[in-house]
Amino acid sequence: MTNKNGKIPEKDDNYTNNINRNNDRSLDRRGFMKTLAGAAGVFAVASLPWGTLAAKELMGLADKEYPHKKIVDIKDIAVGESVEFHFPSDHDSAVLIRLEENKYVAYQNACTHLRCPVYWVKEQKEMVCPCHHGKFDVNTGAPTAGPPRRPLPEIVVHQEDEAIFAVRVKRYEA
Amino acid sequence: MKRSYLGVIILCLILAMNIVFTQLIVHQYYHENYQNVLIYMGINIILFPIAILVYKKEKNKGGS
Ligand code: FES
Repeated sequence: MTNKNGKIPEKDDNYTNNINRNNDRSLDRRGFMKTLAGAAGVFAVASLPWGTLAAKELMGLADKEYPHKKIVDIKDIAVGESVEFHFPSDHDSAVLIRLEENKYVAYQNACTHLRCPVYWVKEQKEMVCPCHHGKFDVNTGAPTAGPPRRPLPEIVVHQEDEAIFAVRVKRYEA
Repeated sequence: MKRSYLGVIILCLILAMNIVFTQLIVHQYYHENYQNVLIYMGINIILFPIAILVYKKEKNKGGS
């Protein structure tokens, strides 16, 4: 509420009558639209890192082969038992389960909900996530109960010289 | 003067689409459908200039 000279006209120069609200509403609408456009910008920027990661995966690295890694000696794992190991890197925890005499399955055991470690519960014949009671089918890695929606990534294992080796991580067949 | 809500509505729709596509990006990434991730990212990025355009066109329409 200033005039050309930047002075407040005398009639408005007081503490009760100097608020001009005439344009409040149109400013509101405009400000709101501004916020929305800004939010669109935030989303655009936020999707960039996912795109870059995806592009990286597309170039080359698809179906990666890691050096085979020994998990455990067969004599050290009884039928129905499980061992934890790390594959492909030291930061990816995984679990190997011996289901039958000659049947082994392995999964990366970071829960597909919020990445808590998933355990093999022998008595229930199920893989259970302690955080929110997510459950996974031990034969396929598919979620059977609780919040998880995606299956656990399966690790292909292979038996050689009385030991079990991790070969590679299976891609999702989604 | 009649108020114009068209811009507000369009921008809201754009925001809704943003949210949907961002969610899709994350899911498709974990499903390892990397092409889809790139497509959705493209859409999300293109939505931004569209939003700016809509804002520029609409900001001075109908007030009070
Ligand atoms: S983190 Fe596994 S169920 Fe939530």
